Amino acid sequence: MELLLTVNGTVWEVSARPTARLIDVLRDQMGLSGTKEGCGEGECGACTVIVDGKAVNSCVMLAVQALGKEVLTVEGLAASGELDTLQQKFVEQGAVQCGFCTPGMLMSAKALLMANPLPSDQDIRTALAGNLCRCTGYKNIVAAVRAASGQETVAMEVPSEKEELLADLAVPGLAPAKLDEGGE
Amino acid sequence: MSTTDVVAPATTDELVAALARATPMTRLLAGGTDLVNDIRRPGRQTDLLIDLSHMPALSYVRHDGDMLRVGAMTTFTELQADPLVHEHAFCLERAASQVGSAQIRNVATIGGNVANASPCADGATALVALSAEVTTLDGSGHRATRPLRDVLLGSGRTALTDGEAIVEFAFAALGNEHRSAFAKIGWRTAVSVARLSMALVVRFDPVAEVLSEVRVGLGAVGETAFRDAVLEGLLEGRPADEESARILAEGCADAVRRSIPGRYSLPYKERAAVGLAYDAWNALRICPPCEPAWG
Ligand SMILES: Cc1cc2nc3c(=O)[nH]c(=O)nc-3n(C[C@H](O)[C@H](O)[C@H](O)COP(=O)(O)OP(=O)(O)OC[C@H]3O[C@@H](n4cnc5c(N)ncnc54)[C@H](O)[C@@H]3O)c2cc1C
Ligand code: FES
Ligand code: FES
Repeated sequence: MELLLTVNGTVWEVSARPTARLIDVLRDQMGLSGTKEGCGEGECGACTVIVDGKAVNSCVMLAVQALGKEVLTVEGLAASGELDTLQQKFVEQGAVQCGFCTPGMLMSAKALLMANPLPSDQDIRTALAGNLCRCTGYKNIVAAVRAASGQETVAMEVPSEKEELLADLAVPGLAPAKLDEGGE
Repeated sequence: MSTTDVVAPATTDELVAALARATPMTRLLAGGTDLVNDIRRPGRQTDLLIDLSHMPALSYVRHDGDMLRVGAMTTFTELQADPLVHEHAFCLERAASQVGSAQIRNVATIGGNVANASPCADGATALVALSAEVTTLDGSGHRATRPLRDVLLGSGRTALTDGEAIVEFAFAALGNEHRSAFAKIGWRTAVSVARLSMALVVRFDPVAEVLSEVRVGLGAVGETAFRDAVLEGLLEGRPADEESARILAEGCADAVRRSIPGRYSLPYKERAAVGLAYDAWNALRICPPCEPAWG
């Protein structure tokens, strides 16, 4: 079927099977290969793009679902040839190693900043929770998003690993566990 | 693969016309987070996709007398942020906020969650505890309303017929004397389909200081989300104290034992059930209006 899709501000006319996923059309028909496919099941976030201002996984969305909507991919961030502030901060903060997760991370972070220009670390972690990174350990990514929002890159609030540990230590019937913070 | 036709109705009339064309190979497309991978499995044939995402009229939360009405196409992101859901169906807000990731919540709908009928569907578990009713629309324009528990038949099985779309969920809005909560235990904190979940709804009588109208929804325990009458009976009439929490936790482990005897996952689930019940119980404390003081 013929589809008219608006991607990065340009209207594209493509011919695709009705069951084609958005990621297939972006990568194969439009040549926008910045969007990556990791798991193909909605779990890793590598394929994240922004549709009508919201981050979505383009691997669990059909192209037809984007009809009449505005799609933004990582290519749209540096459309003028200059890196977006968010991209610059990713570079500066060392938030990129192998780079496979980066386009998805950028798009999740971009959607967050579009809706919430001054996010807390918790907001950032919630927005990025569906984006897996095998290399960086997330700290520098959160720092980069903070920096891109113009906020000081200060020490994290409770790191998520600690929260997870606390959850693991929870004993039914007792008050939630506390970690000994060394006299803090 | 044979060809698939796609229609994207924008009005109720167009939706009815599309539903009238449905065959056993027709699928409704909501957010696609379950469907997209499903229709791409080898051997799956789809003759018609009815894309509901151009039906803004199916996306709403509305107060109607004593009832809260939720359109089938309302996403978890919308439910999580909705002030009416916060005030009158806190367990649904908590369930919505714990679904998948931001990307999933942005498109995944409550209608798709129920129609997909996974035993661990978080939205369905909350709606079961809220004693929700489901309204559907079919290809002849007929609307039917029935209890959610009559729609959920088993894992991946519903009472919905070909060409029958869920259009709305409705349940009694919880008032000031009610509290509700939701908790789940999954593989990971984000992006986990629950391995066990509980939605609790109770009325706390501030004068008698006892629990009544107790409703307990369990997810991923049985073939489908269900209300556990035994657990509900254990709490009915009890004070809101630690002993009640303990009774709920033990009862929850029993419910797991009753529902899945001999399953390989049982020992893990029994222990998880105790933790789950305490999580849900403790979450009642943060339910608005949080007055009178609790427990
Ligand atoms: C990575 C990932 C994580 C997930 N995590 C969770 C989680 O934590 N908790 C959870 O509960 N679920 C989770 N899910 C499952 C899924 O996101 C939910 O079940 C979601 O609510 C499905 O809604 P949808 O709008 O995407 O439905 P779709 O995928 O569009 O449809 C699902 C099914 O319902 C049918 N359908 C859709 N709408 C209607 C309607 N109005 N009337 C009749 N039939 C209809 C479709 O035909 C299809 O069979 C996860 C999925 C993924 C991919
Ligand atoms: S490739 Fe889409 S979420 Fe992993
Ligand atoms: S930088 Fe390698 S996966 Fe994130």
